[in-house]
Amino acid sequence: MSTAPSVTPDDPTMLARFTERIQAGDQIEAGEWLPAEYRFEALRLINMHANSEIMGALPEREWIPRAPGLARKMALTAKVQDEVGHGMLLYRVAETLGRTRDEMVAELVAGRARFHNVFHYPAETWADVAIIQVFVDGAAMQTQGALRSCSYAPYSRVLKRICYEEDFHIQLGLDVWRSLAEGTPRQRAMLQDALRRWWTPIIHFFGMPDRVSPHTEKMLAWRIKVKSNEELRQQFLRKFVPIILEYGLEVPDPNLRWVEEEQRYVYTEPDWEELKRVGRNGGPKSADRLALRQRFHQQHAWVREAMNRWLTSQAHGAVA
Amino acid sequence: MTSGRVDQRDGGDARWERPLGTAPDVWAVFVQGRHRDMHVYAGDVHAPDAEMALVLAKESYTRRDPCVNLWVVRADQIHATAQTAAEMFVPAIDKSYRFGGSYRQQRRVLQSSYKASYREEDQ
Amino acid sequence: MPGVLTAIADPSVRDAFREWLLRIADDELVIGHRHSEWTGVGPDIESDVAMSSIAQEELGHGRALYEQIAQDEGSDVDRLAFGRAPNEYRHAALLEQENDGWEYSIVRLVLYEAFEGARLRLVAASGQEPVAGLARLLGREERYHGLFAETWLTRLAGGAVDGPGRVQAALDAAWPDALGLFEATPADDVLLRAGVLTSSPAAQREAWTDAVRPVLESCALTMPTAEAREGGRRGVHTPAFGRLLAQMTEVWRSDPEARW
Repeated sequence: MSTAPSVTPDDPTMLARFTERIQAGDQIEAGEWLPAEYRFEALRLINMHANSEIMGALPEREWIPRAPGLARKMALTAKVQDEVGHGMLLYRVAETLGRTRDEMVAELVAGRARFHNVFHYPAETWADVAIIQVFVDGAAMQTQGALRSCSYAPYSRVLKRICYEEDFHIQLGLDVWRSLAEGTPRQRAMLQDALRRWWTPIIHFFGMPDRVSPHTEKMLAWRIKVKSNEELRQQFLRKFVPIILEYGLEVPDPNLRWVEEEQRYVYTEPDWEELKRVGRNGGPKSADRLALRQRFHQQHAWVREAMNRWLTSQAHGAVA
Repeated sequence: MTSGRVDQRDGGDARWERPLGTAPDVWAVFVQGRHRDMHVYAGDVHAPDAEMALVLAKESYTRRDPCVNLWVVRADQIHATAQTAAEMFVPAIDKSYRFGGSYRQQRRVLQSSYKASYREEDQ
Repeated sequence: MPGVLTAIADPSVRDAFREWLLRIADDELVIGHRHSEWTGVGPDIESDVAMSSIAQEELGHGRALYEQIAQDEGSDVDRLAFGRAPNEYRHAALLEQENDGWEYSIVRLVLYEAFEGARLRLVAASGQEPVAGLARLLGREERYHGLFAETWLTRLAGGAVDGPGRVQAALDAAWPDALGLFEATPADDVLLRAGVLTSSPAAQREAWTDAVRPVLESCALTMPTAEAREGGRRGVHTPAFGRLLAQMTEVWRSDPEARW
């Protein structure tokens, strides 16, 4: 885990100037003075986002070799490639906050870091690919779309590109979704089943409704958080529940309904303990996915070592 | 970040210039979309040398957008103005005299004389 | 519009040309499948992304070539790519071997790209349009694949640790299968006699050896002397391909009539 915020208190004048700038809508660049707590929270957020992209490649990756048809195979490969690429962009942003990518990746494969809850679940059938692309990426799009206006400029810039690519993922997912929803009864059943299995993890995705706390307020004031968890969940439901209904599929929550007066969906309160357990790498696939990462990380130790030595020899060459 | 030059006029601690201070394996990537465009900074790659950086930059930064040419430069070779120096780019006096748009009146005159003298064979 | 095959009057030449196209498409499909297995687990993030593009392009080349055949026969590409029995595939064994480490995949890519670039030039020179034009187009992308592979090969073999030994072992393992790329079949004779193919498999192999030798030797690797392992061009494959095909077609086979 990241080191705790520095015990040395921030210079009050600097802190006041910083807070004032952010409240005026300014964005902060890499290398600028940051309050220790801001650095800690921004790094934690971006590091976890990067981890989630890298781990998020794994469930869908399982279906690349089995994708039904060449067009699907190419598109799914391109989609997973994008997620890996997002990991690259995000680790680079996290590096500007003070950790090296090697360090963050090593921590991830050792099982000592966190990644998003949805990537701890199995992708059991081809229909899971559609659900992940439409609903998981759709959920991520709400969070990331909002964070484009966050106060850390390097993060905000890469989110612009990430959101652009996520749009391709959702469109691709909708195409797979439609072919299954309008397909044979077996395909439709497969889709309904996948939707049922993914529903709770997706509701969990946005986290517990935020408590009103000084911490949350500070995150919002510093624009490391832009919208509350519940706001984002509602935004997601408004956009994605109609897709389920349009294809005559069943929303897996019998209590889900739109409340006109409150302009919001009510839904069955999920088991938040499950989210906490999963978040601590205790999900149904956490161990397998981490074991896979570890296996390849170890397998490639000599490649990293060879590249490091090459870098050193090149650096010396440049000096000579 | 030790070599930044100190601007004594701002209390003595406000560096206006600094190197990016990145790790030696970070390469900044510049993409030229079309020949008539400048190379534009697109992001970074980690690579052990320039050749590998170019090879890897291609798929990281040009797999969707058009590109005719790539540059990579070790990011630790880049120097930047400090963010705290951003103010020096903000004009304090009216600089509109530098822009053609400030001379609309004259342009109207020009246009009418242009129309009066318009001839097909000049085109 | 008649396709490339129906335009060939002589049925034996037509069949031989179909065989050649299918062989190229199968090579691209199978290596594309193997490369795609690296997506998400590459040795570093940037190379993971780059290898994934290469995988997509090989698959895309396969698809473009299957289209040429499918168009002529009123079939569709997925039926050609996914719907045949194992012994109806014509790729060389080199391409179906499992990714035995990054070094194996890089060595295989180096050996294959040197071959594939030259083969596309032969197709471009075949005079059979529109396939000849297509081959010129596809050649563009193969250049990057070769560049990526050689850049990696140099650094793995020239780097420290046990890189040189590992790369040499991968080269020794891949070599007999790589020579299998040049397995001669009756189709080659037919195409040579008809002037569609302008270089015999033996001559292609010689040119290829001359092309890869300086690359390998500049990395201080030893050219292996093992004999070719053949069979792929006649539909005889190793167990690795049986497993690959079963996995690749698992979903599609569950209902080939469905739209996926």
